[in-house]
Amino acid sequence: MAEDILKEQVAEKLSSLGAVEIIVGIPSYNNARTIGQVVKAAQAGLLNSFPDRKALVVNSDGGSQDGTQEVVEKASVDTQALMVVRHPLHPIHRLTTPYHGLPGKGSALQTLFRITEAARARALAVVDADLGSITPEWFNLLLQPILTWEFDYVAPYYTRHKYDGTITNSIVYPLTRALYGRRLRQPIGGEFGISGRLASHFLARDVWNTDVARYGIDIWMATTAMAENFKVCHANLGGKIHDPMEPGLDLSAVLVQIVGTVFRLMETYDLVWRNVLGSLPVAMLGLPFEVTPEPVTINVQRALASFQQGVRDLLPVYEKMFAAEQLRELKLCAALSVDGFVLPDELWVGLIYNSALAYHRRVFDREHLLKSLMPLYLGWVASFARQSENETSAQVDGRIEKLCLVCEQLKPYLLNQWPLQAGEKG
Amino acid sequence: MTVMKTFWQQAILGPLRDLGQQALASLSSLIGILSLILLGIIVGWVAKEIIYRVLRVLRFDRLCDRLGVGLVVERSGLARSSSYLAGEIAQGLIILTALLAGLNGLGTPLTRNLVERVFLYLPHLLAALLVMVVGVLVSRFLGRSVLIAAVNAGLPSARLLAGLTRFFVMVLTVVAALDEVGISRTTIIVTFAILFGGVVTAAAIAFGLGARDLAHDLLKSQFSPKKRPEDEDTMRHV
Repeated sequence: MAEDILKEQVAEKLSSLGAVEIIVGIPSYNNARTIGQVVKAAQAGLLNSFPDRKALVVNSDGGSQDGTQEVVEKASVDTQALMVVRHPLHPIHRLTTPYHGLPGKGSALQTLFRITEAARARALAVVDADLGSITPEWFNLLLQPILTWEFDYVAPYYTRHKYDGTITNSIVYPLTRALYGRRLRQPIGGEFGISGRLASHFLARDVWNTDVARYGIDIWMATTAMAENFKVCHANLGGKIHDPMEPGLDLSAVLVQIVGTVFRLMETYDLVWRNVLGSLPVAMLGLPFEVTPEPVTINVQRALASFQQGVRDLLPVYEKMFAAEQLRELKLCAALSVDGFVLPDELWVGLIYNSALAYHRRVFDREHLLKSLMPLYLGWVASFARQSENETSAQVDGRIEKLCLVCEQLKPYLLNQWPLQAGEKG
Repeated sequence: MTVMKTFWQQAILGPLRDLGQQALASLSSLIGILSLILLGIIVGWVAKEIIYRVLRVLRFDRLCDRLGVGLVVERSGLARSSSYLAGEIAQGLIILTALLAGLNGLGTPLTRNLVERVFLYLPHLLAALLVMVVGVLVSRFLGRSVLIAAVNAGLPSARLLAGLTRFFVMVLTVVAALDEVGISRTTIIVTFAILFGGVVTAAAIAFGLGARDLAHDLLKSQFSPKKRPEDEDTMRHV
């Protein structure tokens, strides 16, 4: 029923606009404070960069109560090229906040992909509604690679503080790079551009009513694009300032959402990543920005205390996931003081690989397994923060690169341990 | 002479003949019972071996290990593996059925009554067994949930909380299982209520008297948390 209403709405708009080549999607939920600036930037960006191409700005709203839609309509300088739709937001979306801070982002993206498919648009750029640092240039960077160079997925690349995005730096980037062989630096960035054909490809997948769409849609899109050989690139967007993450959001729940999706996708694409060794760079489009990122502070003492308690109290849980040698090393690390604390890359990568294996083998409840990773992750954070305390951004990048290389070097261990599928045996 | 002969036949030989016939009948019943038990033992042994091997092929032991039942079986020394225990349970049930069928074959009111009572009691015994298995699984799951949540929240007594969770779930389970088999139902419930109520009251008094300041600080931090500047961090994990 909702789909039919949407079809009618889109058909009506398209009949008044004619063929649309570009769509900019802005999913929102109670973003009245910031969305006006985003809409203005989008329309200015489209006018500057693509003046001769027909474009449409679509706000897909999850039922905001703060007047978001009115702000969108007021901010728009060209109401003819603006469309405001509502995506369904189920009670579960309101109850469980996903890590990207927007309830029902999967539902919003599905709506935007449907509109893209119905309009037969060539490119879609999606930006968050809570951005404070967005500029019109972003739309050129996200859309031009698709329209000019036939890329299918444009991932964002932000200039970030060395302590910003620690789950990405410690787990998501090294693991997806080692698995799929593509150096996609920020696979859970939030903003992205995709081709019309990739939007249709995503729409056809049976994930829209699953936890993947609810909590892990960004990493799912990036992984699917890499694993299914779509052309991917980065767009250098500079700094990103957005509303802070939901204050009540539990870190262990974030780990369940992100790492759980990465591990689940390892099962989906095991025939793909088992044939990949090493990695290739991903094209970077856009000039490097001179940006001073927002400062980020880490309480190393507290992170280390959490790691030490985890190793002490969760040992019966870790015994089911990790090898005896890894447990011995963990105990040795936990005995170190904050000044000498280091969690070696080899140990960290081994723990991640064994966690993925334990998840795959369903050694015990999967949510328990993912939540039990929190103290170990905080151990990595403490070790990383302590070692990189006086390092420059370039040196920190070198540190992350070293971790990624260890992840690639130890991949044969994962390959040996990962059970073969029934048809592959013998 | 004739009188003596009649007396001999009626008073001595007659009862002896009857006794012999009865003994013969009892002997045949006994042989029947023994044959049934022997058959039960053989069928039970074969069933145990089949169940054990089939469950091993189906990786039943791995499933039990994941659920935490394997560890309980191993630690209790009940059997060498969960699949072997399942086989042994099946064997025991078959032998018990054969024994009861044999006893029923005797046809005396006593044995018939005994068989009837055992058969009526058996479903309760199986239900109690099921309650125990489910209880063990639930206690392990909840214990692990509490342990991980408490560690992630940085509570220093995480293991104690997890242990208490497992303990209370197991106490509830044992009470429910004993209640199912009908062992001193009222006594168990009253004992449990007194024990549980006593522990809670003692804990409340101890906390109220011995840790009044702690309770005050805990409630204050809960309802008006104020972080120290050195505790602040602005990490964005994603």
